[in-house]
Amino acid sequence: MMRISVDAVGVLAPGLPDWETARAVLARQRVYVATALDSPQPESLAPAERRRSSPTVRLAISVAEQALRQTALLPPDMAMVFSSYEAAGVITHQLCEALAGSREVSPTQFHNSVHNAPSGYYSIAMNARRAAGSVCRGEWSFAAGLLNAAAQVIADNLPVLYVCYDSPLPPPMCEVMPVLEPTAIALVLTPGNGPASLATWDVAIVPRRGAAVWPDWVPPVWHANASARGFAALESITNPGGCVALLPLSPELDLELTRC
Amino acid sequence: MSVAEPPATRSIHIQNMIPIAISSYTTSNAAGIGNAATAHALREGRSGLVPNDLEWAPLPCWIGRIADLDIDDELKMPTTLREFGCRNNRLALLALGQDGFVAAVGDARRRFGTERVGVFIGTSTSGILSTEIAYQQREPQSGRLPADFRYETTHSLDATTEFVRRVLGLTGPAMTISTACSSSAKVFCLAERLIRLGLIDAAVVGGVDSLCHTTLYGFSSLQLVAPDVCRPFDIARRGLSIGEAAGFALLERSSPASAGLQLLGYGETSDAHHMSTPHPEGEGAGRAMQEALARAGLTPGDIDYINLHGTATPANDRAEGHAVHDVFGEAVACSSTKGFTGHTLGAAGITEAAIALLCLENDFIPGSPTTENVDPETRCAIVLKGRQGRVRQVMSNSFGFGGSNCALLFGRSP
Repeated sequence: MMRISVDAVGVLAPGLPDWETARAVLARQRVYVATALDSPQPESLAPAERRRSSPTVRLAISVAEQALRQTALLPPDMAMVFSSYEAAGVITHQLCEALAGSREVSPTQFHNSVHNAPSGYYSIAMNARRAAGSVCRGEWSFAAGLLNAAAQVIADNLPVLYVCYDSPLPPPMCEVMPVLEPTAIALVLTPGNGPASLATWDVAIVPRRGAAVWPDWVPPVWHANASARGFAALESITNPGGCVALLPLSPELDLELTRC
Repeated sequence: MSVAEPPATRSIHIQNMIPIAISSYTTSNAAGIGNAATAHALREGRSGLVPNDLEWAPLPCWIGRIADLDIDDELKMPTTLREFGCRNNRLALLALGQDGFVAAVGDARRRFGTERVGVFIGTSTSGILSTEIAYQQREPQSGRLPADFRYETTHSLDATTEFVRRVLGLTGPAMTISTACSSSAKVFCLAERLIRLGLIDAAVVGGVDSLCHTTLYGFSSLQLVAPDVCRPFDIARRGLSIGEAAGFALLERSSPASAGLQLLGYGETSDAHHMSTPHPEGEGAGRAMQEALARAGLTPGDIDYINLHGTATPANDRAEGHAVHDVFGEAVACSSTKGFTGHTLGAAGITEAAIALLCLENDFIPGSPTTENVDPETRCAIVLKGRQGRVRQVMSNSFGFGGSNCALLFGRSP
């Protein structure tokens, strides 16, 4: 069991442009309304980098920036864990299309195709020089990345920025990997319960108890997004007092978050 | 009454770590399938690299290829796992079958329980070759992918992790780390943290990366692929040679009485400099090496050999040479073994970790079979011809795109 605190949250998804809106929806104070998400434009990326980067990179860094605005902690003081099912997304499609035809690949396309492109661009933009993890665990990527981040918070007694995201895939990739809308969550995780903490979680690995349940307001189209599993975790932040969230970690395991 | 502990500081304070026991390991790469064949190639100074003869990727370069993989024989897949059939998973299966690794994991499974053993695998491109082939076979009118194409069990970065987990019958926490060319070094760090925190008792760590169009044409587009064989740290080096490889190690909580091979330390840093070019002075690389020494409670003088990342691109080797010189001076024996295996990308960390362990077991320091004239700018002691010599502690460096650095430190307790 690991005890960690959440000091800040960022959320980006259609109808959820920020944590304030998301918090109201999660607390059932506001009805979820689907509206298109403006294409994220991270402020910390220099214009040239912003142009060169992929939509997934811009989504991941924008949601991280949102969380960072709510904490006094600075990016260079944090380790980083980024997690996604298919981070390259549209770049994978462009690469495979080029490789099936002319085989002329652009250098930028190639370096954007690595799974850790979001954490790479982020570390450059923020001068963040500590450890950067980049996780994939298929549909269980939210819980796996959170386990990795939480372990680093406790093992190294460090604040860790955790970011999990899914970016839409174009056809024909979306036939086999049906991510159609972007969803992204960022958390600033810290050891101990400071005055700035929004919530404290006991994090444990437990045997799976049946199929994981989606919060009822989550649009079914997001069920293909591994990062959308994180909304169950955020729900426990809005609901103080003994709330438990179960996040699927594998066919046999859940990551259990108990609000302290 | 006890005195209150001082508050924990948030400044980076690396604590000495308790060594992690390495009870089994294996590597399969272009120089050798399994540990014995790899050790033999290292001793003989025989490179596994060949001129590129891939019909499906006719580029003027050299490659480190594992010939057995060209036979697309899905029957080799366990019948219940046939949906995982792809070059990357065939490579994983080939490597798992060497050096009694499956039996060693079976023993750990019995001692700890299947749910107490984690699986953490590094890869950069997983089975993307399957998607590349599917794109060549798209339905001309609709653009649809072939009906039998499977993303989840082949191309997904997690496909090999899930495949390995099922082959080994493990149910502990699992995940894929994909930080480009440091991927399968960083899995050691994750495993150590989860073992230290008591979340697991043991872990299978490893890395698998196979040849594909994406990396062959992608690195060529960056003009980082040598037209001839790669020559790490040579004055005439012109770039890397891409190889494929798979390897695994079984890590366990060690007891004070544990003897044998151990993970002694590690360091993980980010350059925050450029997506595909290292920091010119190797600033982040140097910090990773220092952090690894600090965790192990060792000084530069305690290290007998450094297995360098040494990809043989002009910028990479220059930056790493600077970083090693800054931390170690010129005294420690160093070499890059990419002249034997090629650059195995997401599998480079585990391949070179396994080579480090072979050096510890055999008191051997490998040379540089393709390097003739060391670049004087390198400023560290590059070993050209392999030699016997006492080897107690070895560092292994892995650096990747996105400025993702990892240094591992291995030792052997008597």
